[in-house]
Amino acid sequence: MDMLIAPERLELAEAVRDFLSGTHGPEVLRRLDAGPNRDPALWQGLVEMGLTGLLVPEEHGGLGMGLLDAALIARECGRVALAEPLVESAFVAVPWLVAQGDTSDLATIARGERRIAPAHRLNGAVADGEGAALDSIDPLRRLTTLPADASDDALLLDLGALMAAAQLVGLAEAMLDQAVEYSKIRTQFGQPVGGFQAIKHKLADVAVALEFARPVLWRAAQALDDGIASAAVHVSHAKVAATDAAYLAAESAIQVHGAMGYTYEVDLHFWMKRAWALGGAWGSRAFHLNRIDAAVIGGPHPIGPENTFA
Amino acid sequence: MRLGFTQSEEQFRAECADWLNAQMAGEFADIRGITTLTEKAERRKEWEQHLGAHGWSCIGWPKEWGGRGATLAEQVIFAEEYARAGVPGRVNHIGIELAGPTLLALGTEEQKRRFLPDIAAGKTIFCQGFSEPGAGSDLASVRTKARLEGNEWVVEGQKIWTSLAHISDWIFVVARSEEGSKGPKGLTFLMMEIDQPGIEIRPIKQINGDAEFNETFFDGARCPADSLIGAVGDGWRVAMTLLSFERGVSTLGQQMAFRNELDGIIAAAKANGTASDPLIRQRIARAEIGLQLMRYGAMRMLSNTDHSKVDGAALTYKIQWATWRRNLGELAMDVLGQAGEVTGSPEYEWGMLPNLFLYSRADTIYGGTNQIQRNLIAERGLGMPREPRGDA
Ligand SMILES: Cc1cc2nc3c(=O)[nH]c(=O)nc-3n(C[C@H](O)[C@H](O)[C@H](O)COP(=O)(O)OP(=O)(O)OC[C@H]3O[C@@H](n4cnc5c(N)ncnc54)[C@H](O)[C@@H]3O)c2cc1C
Repeated sequence: MDMLIAPERLELAEAVRDFLSGTHGPEVLRRLDAGPNRDPALWQGLVEMGLTGLLVPEEHGGLGMGLLDAALIARECGRVALAEPLVESAFVAVPWLVAQGDTSDLATIARGERRIAPAHRLNGAVADGEGAALDSIDPLRRLTTLPADASDDALLLDLGALMAAAQLVGLAEAMLDQAVEYSKIRTQFGQPVGGFQAIKHKLADVAVALEFARPVLWRAAQALDDGIASAAVHVSHAKVAATDAAYLAAESAIQVHGAMGYTYEVDLHFWMKRAWALGGAWGSRAFHLNRIDAAVIGGPHPIGPENTFA
Repeated sequence: MRLGFTQSEEQFRAECADWLNAQMAGEFADIRGITTLTEKAERRKEWEQHLGAHGWSCIGWPKEWGGRGATLAEQVIFAEEYARAGVPGRVNHIGIELAGPTLLALGTEEQKRRFLPDIAAGKTIFCQGFSEPGAGSDLASVRTKARLEGNEWVVEGQKIWTSLAHISDWIFVVARSEEGSKGPKGLTFLMMEIDQPGIEIRPIKQINGDAEFNETFFDGARCPADSLIGAVGDGWRVAMTLLSFERGVSTLGQQMAFRNELDGIIAAAKANGTASDPLIRQRIARAEIGLQLMRYGAMRMLSNTDHSKVDGAALTYKIQWATWRRNLGELAMDVLGQAGEVTGSPEYEWGMLPNLFLYSRADTIYGGTNQIQRNLIAERGLGMPREPRGDA
C-alpha cells in the first residue's frame, strides 16, 4: 500500500502550475469576460505543453499518461479557473474514446486541432458544445443545449465526475488562498480580520475539508484507471467530497471578503461561479450520495474491516 | 398568547388581497413577480406613489403622517398578502422601514411634517449612507467629515455599498462632526438631498451582474444646519436606533417572500424528480421547519412591546434568517443539479432559482455579518467577555 503520489508524477503537474500561474492570472479572466471568452493563443499554449495529448496513447501522438496524472492537472486548471475546454475534451472525452476503441480523432485532438464536447444525458447541457447557447451562472462557461444523441454511458459519467471533482479541489484551494490573503490585509476594529478567531476557524474548516477531499480524489483516479469494480463508488465519493469542499470554500471566502466578495470587481466571483457550476455538473451531490448508499447498503460494495482500505 | 386572526382581521386580509391582486392584474401587471431590486425602477417608484395615494404605503404609521394606524396583526396580514400577490419589493424600503420610523421616534415635529408624508406618498426615496471603505463591521470608525459653515453642514468623504442610491432622492449619512474624535463619539446623523453638485454616485456591479449598490462621494456636499436627527455628536445613538428597526415588521413580509422561494424549490423538486430523493426531502422539511421557527420568533419579537430589556429573540433573528436563506439557496442548487447553472433566460423554467442562490450569498454579510451577530449574541445576550475592539 502506498497512498503517496510518486514525485515524478507531481513534477508535470507542478510545471503546469507554473505555466498557468504565469499565463492565466485573474487579468486573463477579466479580459476573457469582457471579450469572446475563448482565446486561441491560450489554447495553443496548452497544446504546446502537450496537455491536449496527455491521455492520448503514444502511437496516436500523445503522451499516453494515466487518469491520476490528468486529475492532478485538472486540479491545476481549477486553481486558475481555466476557461479553455481542456479538461472535458482531453481528460474526459479522450479516455472515453480510447475505452471504446474509437481512435480516429485522437491524433487531431492531441495536436489541438479538434476538441470534443462530451455530452451526457445526466447533464442538462454541454460545455462548449455546438447547440444553442444557454446562459451559465459562470460567465466563462460556454454552455449549450444537449444534443439529441447525448450518451448515457456509465464510464463517461465517471470520467466527467472525476475530472469535475479534480477541478473543484483546485478551485477550492484557490478560493482558500484568496480568503487567507484578504484576511491579512483587511483591517477592522484596528486589526486584520484574519486575527479574529471566528475568521481563522472558518478558513481552518475549509483547509480540513480540502485535506479530506484530496486523497479521496487521487484514490478515485487510480481506481478508475485500474478499472476496478468499485471505481464508480470511489468517483462518487470524490465528487461529493470535492463539491463539499468547494461549496464550503466559496461560502467562507465570500464571507471573509464581506461586501467586497459580493462584487463583480473582486475576482473571487470567477472561482465561486465555476465551483457552483461544476458542483451540479456530472451528477449533483444528491446523485452521487445515492450511488454510494445504494452500493454500501445491501449493494455490491464490500464492507467490514478487511475491506476498509481496499 | 392568541393564535390565529379574528374575523375582522380576516376581513382585512381579504380587503388587502383584493386590492393588491387587482393592481397586479391591472395597471401594474408589468412589475408583478420581479425579484431583483433594480429592475423597472421608474415603474416601481410609480408603484410607491400608487401605494401612497391609496393609503397602503406605511399602514403602521399614525394617520396624521400618512399611515392607517394599523395594528400589528394588520401589518402582518398586509405584509403576507403583499408577498403572496407577487408584488415586487419596495424600492423605498429604507425610507419606510428605517428613515421613517427613526424620524417618528427621534425627529422634531417640524421634521416629521417635512419628511413623513412625502415618504408615505412615495415622493421621497431614501438610501442609507453608513458603510465606508474603511468602516464596514467597524461602523464606528467612519471618517466622512461634516463641519458647520454658517447655517449649513459641509460634508467631505466617501460612503460605499449604498443600495439604490442611484434612484434615491435623499441619503442619511453618519459623519464625523467633531474633529479628532474617535469611535462612536463625535458622530452626527445628517439627512442630505442627493441631487446636488457635491454628491457623486458610481454604481458597483455585484456578482449577478446587477448594480444595486453604489459608491457615494461627498465633495463639499451641503445640507441645512438643522437637517440632522438627534443632537450634534449624538449620531451613533440615532444610527443604532435606526438599525433596531431593521428587524421590524418588514421581516414578516420578507418571510412571505421566503415562503414563495421555498415553494418554488418544492415545485422544481417535484418536476425534476429530486423530490423522491430522501436527502432532498429532508432538507425541504428542515427548510419548512426553519421558516415556521422564524415566523413564530418574529411574531413573538413584535408582540413584545417592552424594549427596555435586551431581547434575546431580537438578537438572534438576523443570523437566523440570513443563515436559513443562505442554506435555501444551496438547496435550490442541489435540487436543480446541472440546471442550477443555467440563469438569466426567462423562458428557462427555473431561471429564478439560480438568481435566488446568488442573492442569498449576501444575506450573511449585510446588516451585520454572521460573525458580528454571534459576537452580539455572546456579548450582549450572554454577557461574555468582549472581543478586542481596536481603539474604539
Ligand atoms: C448587498 C449589500 C447591500 C448593502 N447595502 C448597504 C447600504 O445600503 N448602506 C450601507 O451603509 N451599507 C450597506 N451594505 C454594507 C454592509 O453593511 C457591510 O457589508 C457589512 O457591515 C460588513 O462590512 P464589510 O463588508 O466591510 O466587511 P468587513 O467588516 O470588512 O468584514 C470582513 C470579514 O471580517 C469579519 N469580521 C469583522 N469584524 C469582526 C469581528 N470583530 N469578529 C469576527 N469577525 C469579524 C466579518 O464578519 C467578515 O467576515 C451592504 C452590503 C451588501 C452586501
